[in-house]
Amino acid sequence: MTRETLDVDILIVGGGPAGMSAALRLAQLQKQQGGEPLSIAVLEKSREPAAHAMSGAVLDPSTLRDLIPDFQQKGAPLAVPVLADHVYFLTQGGRVAFPIIPPPLSNHGNFIISLNVFTRWLAQQVESEGIDVFTGFSGQDILMDGSRVIGVRTGDRGIGRHGEQKPAFEPGVDVMAKVTIFCDGVRGNLTKELERRLQLGAGRQPEQFAIGLKELWEVPSGRLPAGTVMHTMGYPLRLEEFGGGFVYAMGDGQLSVGFVAGLDYKDPLFDPHMAFNRFKQHPFIASLLDGGTMVRYGAKALPEGGWNTIPRPYMDGGLLAGDAGSFLNSMRLKGIHLAMRTGMLAAESAFEAVRENDTSASSLERYQRKIDASPVRAELYPVRHVHQAFGHGLLAGLAFSGVSLVTRGWSPIAFHGDAGHERMRRLNASAPPRDLRPSNEIPIDRRLTFDKVTNVHYSGTAHDEDQPAHLLVHTEVCSSICGPEYGHPCTRFCPANVYEIVREADGAPRLQINASNCVHCKTCDIMDPYQVITWVPPEGGGGPQYNGM
Amino acid sequence: MILVIAEQRDGRLNRASWEVIAAAQTLAKGSPVKVGIAGSSVAALASELATADVAEVLVAEHPALASYTPDGYAMAIRALVDAASPTYVLMPHTYQTRDCAPAIAARMRKALITDATGISGAGADVTFTRPMFQGKLAAQVKPLGEPPFFVTFQIGAFRADAAQKGGSAPVTPVAVQIDASAIRQKPEAPFQEAKQAVDLGQAERIVAVGRGIKSQENIAVAEKLAKAMGAELAASRPICDNGWLPMERQIGSSGQTVAPKLYVALGISGAIQHLVGMKGARTIVAINKDADAPIFEVADYGIVGDLFEVVPALIAELEKT
Repeated sequence: MTRETLDVDILIVGGGPAGMSAALRLAQLQKQQGGEPLSIAVLEKSREPAAHAMSGAVLDPSTLRDLIPDFQQKGAPLAVPVLADHVYFLTQGGRVAFPIIPPPLSNHGNFIISLNVFTRWLAQQVESEGIDVFTGFSGQDILMDGSRVIGVRTGDRGIGRHGEQKPAFEPGVDVMAKVTIFCDGVRGNLTKELERRLQLGAGRQPEQFAIGLKELWEVPSGRLPAGTVMHTMGYPLRLEEFGGGFVYAMGDGQLSVGFVAGLDYKDPLFDPHMAFNRFKQHPFIASLLDGGTMVRYGAKALPEGGWNTIPRPYMDGGLLAGDAGSFLNSMRLKGIHLAMRTGMLAAESAFEAVRENDTSASSLERYQRKIDASPVRAELYPVRHVHQAFGHGLLAGLAFSGVSLVTRGWSPIAFHGDAGHERMRRLNASAPPRDLRPSNEIPIDRRLTFDKVTNVHYSGTAHDEDQPAHLLVHTEVCSSICGPEYGHPCTRFCPANVYEIVREADGAPRLQINASNCVHCKTCDIMDPYQVITWVPPEGGGGPQYNGM
Repeated sequence: MILVIAEQRDGRLNRASWEVIAAAQTLAKGSPVKVGIAGSSVAALASELATADVAEVLVAEHPALASYTPDGYAMAIRALVDAASPTYVLMPHTYQTRDCAPAIAARMRKALITDATGISGAGADVTFTRPMFQGKLAAQVKPLGEPPFFVTFQIGAFRADAAQKGGSAPVTPVAVQIDASAIRQKPEAPFQEAKQAVDLGQAERIVAVGRGIKSQENIAVAEKLAKAMGAELAASRPICDNGWLPMERQIGSSGQTVAPKLYVALGISGAIQHLVGMKGARTIVAINKDADAPIFEVADYGIVGDLFEVVPALIAELEKT
């Protein structure tokens, strides 16, 4: 088979906020410094720019201001400035407002945005600088020469369900680059492979994650003033579970309603999607949504571990930026500005290294120094223990958050986090549950609460059906070990009903993978207790369609 | 005057042509409707079309029209339009139409409204409804400029059986000059991805099975009902995923979209992905054990019960008549 090769100076994998900021920064540097123009390419697996981008989201505009100082004139779609903050502790039927807004949750000066709309706008800025954004192309494999990253191979197209080449078969392209900036997002498939091959996580704490689920609602006017930001803790989670809900009022009667659950829960029968349903059914939240319509759904994992879990973000010929490198402040519930900032810093590092004709790890180490001197460290370092403290329960977490605000992060205890999937308890072998329904199950009314399959429809997810499953699972573990021990938790933690246990005629369980439901959230890759699920990109162009999310 | 362009392939009329005749009769409000058809030997189809309540059937025949080519059919349809000089040219929104209608409209510099689902108003105030943004919005659009206006109709937007019959319209040949060398495409043998492909979109009755059928052996029960009803057999996604029925019989967002006269759903819960593929059916009958199944929200007739009891009873009753 002959593969096409494309040579560029700098390759950016992933067209999210990190990748787009990196591309834009490179274009700026080129303009400012002149010289031989560098060739730059961006790979993005979604069919159109930003189609897979979703978040809450509240944007801290600090990086945007540095990257595009005239963002207002350029029409940055910042839906509405934050006008009011509320934090509530929910009980089953009631709520208690926090007397003061904890400083990290104060959003004065921030904006409520749709990350999809915002990233699409960033992509327009990038394309208007003449940078090629190749949408519909996923990064499938890393091309390496020894320990040096030399490029990325894009996914083949036109492979049938059983691996056979269809008439429209097109082999992937080898994109060779002097520096590759990996912005493949939370639990990026390429970054995961890099971490494995180059031991980028050595000496770091295990990465930690959560899953965020979100719906966009259109509600009768007058429910919440535009610009209202609401966060909740407590119900429907137990004290041992990390997470909470949010409601952001975007104007025009649009509410962004979501729920985040730590992917370190202990109960194997816990279902994050069901927790989201329960959240919406809480009388307070229900009163905001009642009579409205759910118009969009999405789910995405997010890196929560913070500073001590960030892998080494530089290597020979490669850099990590954004969620791929766990650059997210879980205490402030914000990562977009850090993704953009690390994208910018990675671009500056790559640009300088290419100009100096030395793109080795020791040359690219400048990226770490730039991060250390930037607001990224200033923001993440002081709260480096906070998420790990929540590993000891909500009360410990809250108490410690308070302490660390006072001590600027110094802690008498060096908290050490575990990988979330290792915390899952086994089912009680002596008294196994009668069925494997979620422990937090409630009846679905299809008005306020939805089953996963209905929600998937509202994510706009579509994949070519005739392609191999893009979730590689060692299925022999399923029925023999994982079923009896954990009760097939994949059927519950997946927010899109990708995993289903069907009974064979003889009653034996068989894992059926509904791969075309996948919303690319990566939760399965993260949370499966035996780590036997590997998410690889499906054929480019497939996936959710997060318009307005 | 309104001209309907009927579509045929290999001497078979596309059922959607009747849907567009129904649309034309709705739009006409008394003014004459003519039907045009192009092909290499379509006399039989012309007389079939002449049974509709229309003023005239125009036939453009030419040996070069034996197989569909965009150039050939664009020329032939242009000849039909020139011969009839209509105000509206209506076509079914099929693959062929998608291929050649834009070319004809562009060559004539006329307005083209595609994928219309409805007609409102009358006379100079006629507006057409068409979906936008993947069906999230329904736009009301109105053609501007000089007629003829080209409008294509979504499959299932009108009912074929609503087309009024009762005529024996005159069949008039229309001379069409086609210079074979002006046809720039050479059709290859039709591409068929699956053997015995079924076009469920053309079926008048469908019996569809879902998870409630439980096992592959039980498909025979549904098959028997389909046979007794003269219906096509179809399925929801899990059945095809299990390989119990071939993929081309899958109804829904990742399968086919159908609009039969009668749709019988056996043991189908009614996930939204399935509903979007069949909600255009005229009469929906659902049989399901679970009274809360969402399929009952769209069903015209619902039977809460065990399909293995209900279906044999239905078959027995059908076989009596």
